[in-house]
Amino acid sequence: MDEAARVAHEMRLKRDRRERNGRILKHLFLITVSCVMLYPLFWLLASSFKPENEIFGSLTLWPSQFQLDNYTKGWNALPISFTTFYINSAIVTVLSVIGNLISCSFAAYAFARLQFTGRSFFFALMMMTLMVPYHVVLIPQYVQFLALGWVDTYLPLVVPRFLASDAFFIFLMVQFFRQLPRELDEAAMIDGCSPFKIYWSIILPLSLPAMGTAAIFSLIWVWEDFLAPLIYLNDIKSYTVPLALRLFLDQEGQSAYGQMFAMSVLSLVPVVIFFVLFQKLIVRGIATSGMK
Amino acid sequence: MRRFLARNAPAYIFLSPWLLGFFLLALGPILASLYLSFTRYDMVSAPRWVGFDNYSYMFTRDRRFWKALEVTFTYVALAVPARLIMALGVAMLLDKGLRTIGLYRAIFYLPSLLGASIAIAILWRQLFEANGVVNQVLAYFGIQGISWITNPDTSLYTLVILAMWQFGSPMLIFLAGLRGIPRDLYEAAEIDGTPRWRQFTRITLPLLAPVIFFNLVLQTIESFKTFSSAFIISNGTGAPADSLLFYTVYLFNEAFKFFRMGYASALAWVLLIIIAVFTAIAFFTSKYWVHYENERD
Amino acid sequence: MKMTRRGLMSTMGAGLAASTLAGVPALAQARSIRHYWWGNPERDKRTFAVIDTFQKAKTDIKVSGETIGWGDYWTKMATQTAGRNMADLVQMDYRFLFEYVRRGALKPLDEYVGKSLMIADFDKGPIDGGRVDGKLYALNIGSNSQVIVHNTRVFKEAGIDTDLINWTWDDFAKSCETITSKTGGKVKGSDDLSLMIEVFESWVRQNGREFYDKDGKVAATVEDVASYWQFWADLRKKDVVRSKDKTVILDIPIVESGVAVGDTAMSHYWSNQLVGIQAAAKDKIGAAMVPHKKGGQPGQFIKPSMFMSLSRDAKDVDAAIAYMNAWVTDPAITKILGLERGIPASAKVREQLAPGLNEVEKVSVAYFNAIASKVGPLPLPAPKGAGEVRDAFMRIGTDVVLDRASAKDAAATFVGDAQAIVERAL
Repeated sequence: MDEAARVAHEMRLKRDRRERNGRILKHLFLITVSCVMLYPLFWLLASSFKPENEIFGSLTLWPSQFQLDNYTKGWNALPISFTTFYINSAIVTVLSVIGNLISCSFAAYAFARLQFTGRSFFFALMMMTLMVPYHVVLIPQYVQFLALGWVDTYLPLVVPRFLASDAFFIFLMVQFFRQLPRELDEAAMIDGCSPFKIYWSIILPLSLPAMGTAAIFSLIWVWEDFLAPLIYLNDIKSYTVPLALRLFLDQEGQSAYGQMFAMSVLSLVPVVIFFVLFQKLIVRGIATSGMK
Repeated sequence: MRRFLARNAPAYIFLSPWLLGFFLLALGPILASLYLSFTRYDMVSAPRWVGFDNYSYMFTRDRRFWKALEVTFTYVALAVPARLIMALGVAMLLDKGLRTIGLYRAIFYLPSLLGASIAIAILWRQLFEANGVVNQVLAYFGIQGISWITNPDTSLYTLVILAMWQFGSPMLIFLAGLRGIPRDLYEAAEIDGTPRWRQFTRITLPLLAPVIFFNLVLQTIESFKTFSSAFIISNGTGAPADSLLFYTVYLFNEAFKFFRMGYASALAWVLLIIIAVFTAIAFFTSKYWVHYENERD
Repeated sequence: MKMTRRGLMSTMGAGLAASTLAGVPALAQARSIRHYWWGNPERDKRTFAVIDTFQKAKTDIKVSGETIGWGDYWTKMATQTAGRNMADLVQMDYRFLFEYVRRGALKPLDEYVGKSLMIADFDKGPIDGGRVDGKLYALNIGSNSQVIVHNTRVFKEAGIDTDLINWTWDDFAKSCETITSKTGGKVKGSDDLSLMIEVFESWVRQNGREFYDKDGKVAATVEDVASYWQFWADLRKKDVVRSKDKTVILDIPIVESGVAVGDTAMSHYWSNQLVGIQAAAKDKIGAAMVPHKKGGQPGQFIKPSMFMSLSRDAKDVDAAIAYMNAWVTDPAITKILGLERGIPASAKVREQLAPGLNEVEKVSVAYFNAIASKVGPLPLPAPKGAGEVRDAFMRIGTDVVLDRASAKDAAATFVGDAQAIVERAL
């Protein structure tokens, strides 16, 4: 083995070692942070197995006795079973997510990729809707939906989402769409593609990370949305999961915190599953957008 | 006219759902709240026009309005940078290399899933009380902690920590942005022997700028409007001693607890203007530091 | 997320159809009323059972029950009020009754009394609690009174044998000291009630004044407030009440109160909450009166814990009154309701319920009987803005608790602020 090869080999070894050490350090760091991040979840989980009077009295995380009561009883503790609440939440959430993705990506495409009169004016209006504190528009909105006869239906929760009511997603997608090279549209335009074709076959496929992110946020926020269902749904049979969770608590009287925690834990399950499935979309983004 | 249509029609078609939603559903309530801000409105009887009374009362006589502004500005100034730096740092750690990143990503997002639920309120009180977990940890290092969450001088910081801890959404957006940066740029830099931090300032930051800008603007807006966490942790009161009297908590109580929807609407419009000014500044300065691919020449 | 466009459209269609269906009122029945209350799992179960029972008897009336927890109840109520879409019958709380009545959101019930609302033989005092400016706006569906909830085990172990119905503030303070020293400080005597305006109200009345006079002005004096806050400051100094860190958390949920957690031996509550506290506490609890002032007037009073009110937006008033009447008179229904919302105002109903009471319920009934002769009259109806005054009391009192202001200075601030709040609300 000549000298040069030996030095090269040693350097490679050294680099590998350094990288391995770096990886271990990184893992150690991430694991520590994970523990801090997860503590509250453990706490919630532990509390959901505790008897009611142990949740507040003791600081120890571990329940003195594990009991599944909160889960088994909690599911049917309310006049309506949680099965119904889950179905309701699923209907509202699926429709809302679809609505958000379609309508917001439409609007974002127009703002990010098309030239038109009034673009910055409309963009400013759109941003303004993000800034309005929603508690003051609650009542005018309620009056409006009441006049339409929509109160006590899911329409006030779903229809606005098909009309791009959530400017957050528009702005998010705009920022990502603007990052795509302009030559893409130009080339497609020369090939005779319609704007819709460009949106559908070029912009969307290249924006999977953004769309995946939007889908995740949209799902989580709608699933956890509490205020709109509170205001617009009257019949307990139409309640969504977050609304049902509030039925457990009576600050002024008898509450069932244990059952509420147990049902809260269960309510996280669909969201976590969706998160794990959809984050793949964000990862897959590299393969497709690494084309430039 | 024909040319106008030909130029604008596709855009307006794409924009039509938003236009419909904005003009039919959103605009009315917004204008209504503007009108209500010039009235006295208790939500039971009809609103009564009072001109600028609400606004002048706010600026000249309402001590709690100023307190709410102070609390909110302090929070925004601390929570926004803290959360963004946290989110960006973790996103960059997770972006490259490790095979288990999917797991970490899920773990780091979990706190954000808990949002501002009642469980968080109870937990936060238990963590930061006099003999809570935080002080138990501090005791290891010989530090005698106080009851952070019920001390008016420190309670706001526990909410800043909550904001930092729930960095999931900006992190995810940063990650999505990092994924959009072509790998070959880094490979080329590596071959050229460009050091890591240079790669960060020369490649990552400029290409991530649109996403950083998005997170900055959105987090600022959201932080000004912070409601749920403060509301739930203080049982809706802004206690102790108004140290958690966030602007929107004050606004909510004025509207729904004290039946002053007119005054609350005026409060809302003042907040709207404050946020709008900050957003406008962000957009104005973005010309100098945010460059978009489709506008690069 | 691969979905054909047609598939998407049909899902949307089906979903929208399903969602609108949920909101279509049943057309088969001609008459329908809405009943809105704040609840918890137990109360909701009982109330829906009542609705079932009622509908079986009156098949032509459909009642839709709407419920949510206390914290969210008032937000939704305000929104529905603003939209002129209140439920026909709404549950009311003493604190909010005046705010809603004075703004014209409720209809008086007087014209139905004796005709379709058969409450002539009910106790007069509790029924009058629903009167504002001479008109009956709210039907008492349960009474309560203030109560010093205490841990009977700790009391026994500390050897406290004071007469808990007739005791004075001095006895109370001494008991706090005894309990704290006997338990070695592990259990403090009492929760710090500095910020409870409900207890302070009794304090003022013991001094011979009402908190609000008949014109709705603040009648409580700076000395009243200062002496009250000073009383607690002295106990804090002796370290015989709960830590100030807990005190300054306002409107703390029952489960976090000192008695429930085991930090203290006494807390202040309303008697209909005894069941809830017992469910959260490890030891057996007992009921004591708010301490008296030596040689003072009676301060404590019995008030309606919950009301049912007819809203301004009620359409089928006759159906609503029929339902309301059944609530307080139909034996099948009153049996389901039990004491859950408080002590019924009808002697007949109380008799009917007596044999079936559980242990805590017995405590609350016995307590009620014991205090009957010791309480004062109901205070005058509160003016608009009383809710905000309550908040101000807690907020300004916090400064005293945290030693950021003297009791005297803070009391002056409070009385001034309270007066300003009431005037602004006019």
